[in-house]
Amino acid sequence: MLGFTLFLTAGVEAQQATRTQPVTGIRDNGTGFHALVGARVVTSPGQVLENATIVVRDGLIQSVGRNDQPPAGARVWDLAGLTVYPGFIDAHADLGMDNVPEGGDVGPTHWNPQVRAWFSTTMNFEDDEDRRSALRSQGFGTALAVPKQGIFRGTASVVNLTDDGVRDRILRPDLVHSIGFQRSFQLGGAYPNSPMGVAALMKQTFMDTDWYMRAWEAYEASGRAFLPPETSASLAALEEVVQGNQPMFFETNSEEEYLRAYALAADYRVTPWFRGSGQEYRIVDVLEGRTEPLVIPLDFPDAPDVDNPERALNASLAQLRHWYLAPTSPGQLSGAGVRFAITTDGLSSLNEFLPNLRIAVARGLPADDALAALTTTPADWLGIDRTHGTIEAGKVANLVVSEGDLFNEEATVRDVWVQGKVYGVTRPAQVDPRGTWLIASDDEWGFEAELRLEGPLNRLGGHIDVTDGERIDLSSASVVAETGRIEVRFDGEDLGYEGTALLAGSVAGDEFFGWTSLPNGADPSFQGTRTQAFEGAARGTVAMNVPEIDLPFIRPMMEYGRSSIPEQPPAVVVRNATVWTQGTQGRLENADLLVRAGQVAEVGIDLDAPSGAVEIDATGKHVTPGLIDVHIHAGVSGVNESGFAIVPEVQMGDVVTHNNIWMYRQLAGGLTTAHVKHGSANPIGGENVFVKMRWGSLPEDLKLENAPRTVKFALGENPKRRQGRYPDTRMGTQEIIRDHFMAARDYEREWQRWEANGEGIPPRRDLRMEAILDILNQELLISSHGYRADEFLALIRLAEEFGFRVQTLQHGVEAYKIASELAASGVAAAVWSDWGAFKLEAYDATVYNARILMEAGVVTSLHSDDNQISTRMNWEAGKLLRTGLTEEQALSTVTNQSAQAVAIDDQVGSLEPGKDGDFVIWSGNPLSQFTRAEQTWIDGRRYFSLEEDAAQREEIERERTQLIQAVLSVEGRSGR
Amino acid sequence: MNTTKRGTMTGVLARAGTMATLTVISAVVAPLLPSSATAQVRMTVPPQSQPIALQGATIHTVTNGVIENGTILFNNGVITAIGTDVQLPAGTRVVDASGKHIYPGLIDAYSTVGISEIGSVDVSSDTNELGDFNPNVRAEVAVNAESRHIGTTRSAGVLVSLTTPGGGLISGMSSALNLEGWSWEEMSLESAAALNVNWPNPNPRRGGRGGGRGGGAGDAPTYEERVQELKDFFAEARAYRDAVAAGEGVRSDSRYAAMIPALNGEIPVVVAADGAAQINDAITWGQGEGVRIVIRGGRDAIHVADRLVSENIPVILTSTMAAPGRAYEGYDGAYSMPARLYEAGVKFAISGGAGALYTNRLPWEAGVAVAFGLPEEEAVKAVTINAAEFMGLDDRVGSLEAGKQATLLITTGNPLDMTTNIEQAYIQGRELDMNDIQKHFFEKYMVKVRQLRPVVF
Repeated sequence: MLGFTLFLTAGVEAQQATRTQPVTGIRDNGTGFHALVGARVVTSPGQVLENATIVVRDGLIQSVGRNDQPPAGARVWDLAGLTVYPGFIDAHADLGMDNVPEGGDVGPTHWNPQVRAWFSTTMNFEDDEDRRSALRSQGFGTALAVPKQGIFRGTASVVNLTDDGVRDRILRPDLVHSIGFQRSFQLGGAYPNSPMGVAALMKQTFMDTDWYMRAWEAYEASGRAFLPPETSASLAALEEVVQGNQPMFFETNSEEEYLRAYALAADYRVTPWFRGSGQEYRIVDVLEGRTEPLVIPLDFPDAPDVDNPERALNASLAQLRHWYLAPTSPGQLSGAGVRFAITTDGLSSLNEFLPNLRIAVARGLPADDALAALTTTPADWLGIDRTHGTIEAGKVANLVVSEGDLFNEEATVRDVWVQGKVYGVTRPAQVDPRGTWLIASDDEWGFEAELRLEGPLNRLGGHIDVTDGERIDLSSASVVAETGRIEVRFDGEDLGYEGTALLAGSVAGDEFFGWTSLPNGADPSFQGTRTQAFEGAARGTVAMNVPEIDLPFIRPMMEYGRSSIPEQPPAVVVRNATVWTQGTQGRLENADLLVRAGQVAEVGIDLDAPSGAVEIDATGKHVTPGLIDVHIHAGVSGVNESGFAIVPEVQMGDVVTHNNIWMYRQLAGGLTTAHVKHGSANPIGGENVFVKMRWGSLPEDLKLENAPRTVKFALGENPKRRQGRYPDTRMGTQEIIRDHFMAARDYEREWQRWEANGEGIPPRRDLRMEAILDILNQELLISSHGYRADEFLALIRLAEEFGFRVQTLQHGVEAYKIASELAASGVAAAVWSDWGAFKLEAYDATVYNARILMEAGVVTSLHSDDNQISTRMNWEAGKLLRTGLTEEQALSTVTNQSAQAVAIDDQVGSLEPGKDGDFVIWSGNPLSQFTRAEQTWIDGRRYFSLEEDAAQREEIERERTQLIQAVLSVEGRSGR
Repeated sequence: MNTTKRGTMTGVLARAGTMATLTVISAVVAPLLPSSATAQVRMTVPPQSQPIALQGATIHTVTNGVIENGTILFNNGVITAIGTDVQLPAGTRVVDASGKHIYPGLIDAYSTVGISEIGSVDVSSDTNELGDFNPNVRAEVAVNAESRHIGTTRSAGVLVSLTTPGGGLISGMSSALNLEGWSWEEMSLESAAALNVNWPNPNPRRGGRGGGRGGGAGDAPTYEERVQELKDFFAEARAYRDAVAAGEGVRSDSRYAAMIPALNGEIPVVVAADGAAQINDAITWGQGEGVRIVIRGGRDAIHVADRLVSENIPVILTSTMAAPGRAYEGYDGAYSMPARLYEAGVKFAISGGAGALYTNRLPWEAGVAVAFGLPEEEAVKAVTINAAEFMGLDDRVGSLEAGKQATLLITTGNPLDMTTNIEQAYIQGRELDMNDIQKHFFEKYMVKVRQLRPVVF
């Protein structure tokens, strides 16, 4: 379907009294008075008028009614057999206002080039003509034009999609601010370069806007008695947003970004709108009942590549499920009563829009809901419902004229009317060439044959039966609309020639005159007569084109996802096990563990359990506390924010991901709690987060409640190896940390001074400085990466100089060299069991590290810093046995000492009354290489067991097999 | 006959020296520490000079079952007798090993110990020579006998390493090394034990092209081109061999000359291949070349198991502790691979996998398979006799048999489990100094801990 240029000018022209621009030359005034008669008119979702007449005058709908006589003087458009819908509205359209000036933005905008809130799509209106025309071809007459550059992107405006001048196209200027989680590389700037950095920048900018208002207020109120605050067009532009008066449109690219955006908006009292990701089907339960505008794309994924057996082996259930389920997302939202609009945004080609829309309908989206999502719903949210969204008298004449049912058939858009102007999209077919034709040629290439043309008009096919029994397959044929000519190409091999043969013909009634062009240069012409007409629908219908597969809801939507969170029985008692309490009770043989309401109640011999308790016979088994890894990077969407050397304002808690197969593997290895760290690119990195392996929960529910706050520091090679960024040496690392400590104290003093006397510009809340103050006050505990003894000693002494204590050293390959100093300063150590020599600063590694530290009285934990090793921390502890530690001492480095090292020992790390009911049942001694975890419990809920695991593998196998078959059954792998 | 108990280090490090509780550590541990840190990091000991008999141990021969309360006698580096009733020649030094276990020294079939020292320090690595075809390079000549990793590897019970070059299509020759000796020459057990080939990747990510060379995507050779390069090289080498054999006066070519033992089936061709298609194509190629191949890697070996069995092609697994390759495989995808291959009848060895720095993790790589279904004795075979057999060393090492080298371990149990200790090792009858850099640091810094601790004894 090709758009073509306007084929007539009709509709409103300049009205003399309400226009500013003088007319040059002769005025061009059509009547703007039309009557569209005979169509089936869908006036609004669910409302249909058969054989209706729509009268359009001066861009507005004057009347709409069944069988109305067209008024005298109106140009009459015969739309018999056609369907008319209200013009579509795209509530998040990318119209291409993307140009960034060379050299970047000028003027006092914002120090960070990614903060472009000053940008206005109204004031910088420059839409792309091709995109506009392509949008119209898909039925759209109105769009919210959103800017796409930067994190804070500026304001979006509602515009009509006519070809009029810019001053006639703006319906609602600068209605809503636009914001996204991806930075634009074109805009430059080093910071932020991570998702948590983006979140931090968003928070700081919201807070800065608040300050900006107060600062200028104070300045004006003082009678301009001091130097003014800085000027920032971006902060000024955000004032209405932070006051909740102007919405912020978050563009999200995953269901997790949606959750993140929602939380941010709530925290900063911003009124959020959301552009969805197409992954909404994963969080329908969350979306249910929410009323914020949600605009979803129809970007359905291509099928995974299963072209050969090895590629099929590599197709994950996550990919396969996403391919299968993404098209059901709109239908699922609809079914759950979630109100949403649909956008073309996110499609690689706008021509995919209507086909994808029909797939969404075929996969469960009621057509009326689809229409509402394109008309009444966006009109409502964009505040244009008085004028747009339905076909009613008095509304703007935005109409989609289609040949058939746009939602259920392969219908083509004929025309789109925007504000009473008609834009042609496709021209009607003048002839229907389908049927059986006898064709014959009497020239030198003479032949006789039967030509059969069949199928829907937009996908004509057929064949030629030559008299000698040969059949030529015509897989594709097209009708050139206005001339009634049909054109076919086919493989010449059917006629014995190598190459492609062409056939064209003109149809007039039941007569056919045709000619061919054969690969050998011959071009016989022929004539034909229709002997039989084709009986069949003119248009293909759209049906579900994938087999029905039972795919129950799971979270996360991948291998081993759960249908729900495991139950928490009121009481659980594990009997007759070797119980390693890792607390004062030590290790007990033939003992019982009682967990009540998710917490450890008692460990002892022959415990009385409340009636109804879940009883587990663990004879011959070992039971330990859930294991703890105090240093991993799995389970977050980003690791390093390296845009600045000092970034304690970024928070890993913002980017926790639940779509994380490692969590399941960790559970399977008995890990229940982890300290998820920021990366090591910065002397002062970001704030870390504690998670529990509550597989099947959403990110927020994975976080350990009431956990202490910790921050990543990094010393040695990593923070200094980033080129062109201070520091380059361990000396510089020490100094930049010290300088920031001092800066935070200065910041504190500025606040104190202002709070005391209120003079001058009020200070701003600086998240970075606040975080450093928290560090100095030991509310944000240091967890520092490093290898060598010297660098650790330097940090510890620096902290002591500022009157506080470093909580934990991490990696600490040379921690043993300063074991006594660590003990004296009360610094804990988290070390590897046997890592070493992978870099120069790790060369003096020794597996005795932990033992020496423990001998000196240092609280000592192991850690993995590795996805896979975090799944077997019991064996990491086991490696210490050969250094002479007792078994309980060895296990303590992944349980109670780990908890102590990061100050979570009030909650986890041992099986003592009041602690969380996190425990593991092992097949034998957990420190033996020959032992495996059989069950893993968190909060008194069984999150892993070998039996469930086995059952899930069978289910995964079934689903993968069926989904791979489904991919193979769908032609062309588009799956749509 | 003088009966000795192995002394100094074991005394410090055995379970007897564990920290009883943290509160009384000073009293318990301190007296066990050496009075000063003058110990050598690792001393090389002289060749065996008198017969040695280890008595009273449970002897795990690997090839001929387990002998309870047995004696193993060795002289001049070679085992002369094993049994419960062994006659000891005059002058035999008898070591009381009662209650202990004796295993053959473990063999890592794929390591870079000796030729790679510090991971991110390029100049400390001699693994990868420039270019695609380096059959003539032999690992042993680059082995640093003083490498820190040699000591820690031995402490883990690994006494023989197949140190192996990497990179290109033909990486070079693995050298079999005894991990004891003053120089690589003394350590060498087999100079060119196996030829190493890296099979190209037939399923590169979409958008890229095949190969194995990396670099710019535009002009990178396809998978088919890479395979053809390999075939051409073998064809040229064969032609060279035949021309030399026919007495033609061809100009010498060290690369083709180095290929001859592999072409003649005297040494194996170890082909690195992980994916199912890779393994299949490598087998097809190996048959065409008529060489004896061993698959190294074998991540997808289970998908090719029937063919590996019917063609009798062994596999050296490199990643039994790796992450599962695919999310649906299960958390134990790699852990359970040996057991599944065993069920299927595939012959396999297990290697350290993680490279030079972690050859000392070899026992765990095999031990994990036991937790996930592999019989214990099969796990031991995978790091002893199987590795020896695939690499053509089974006439010398890999099991405890009369006539084989006395390369063995005295342990408190299965050396593949963390709950046991390795107390003493012998390589060719030499009673090793069991110290290593890590123990050295332990001793040295425990001195510091004691010096700085304000306690009175």
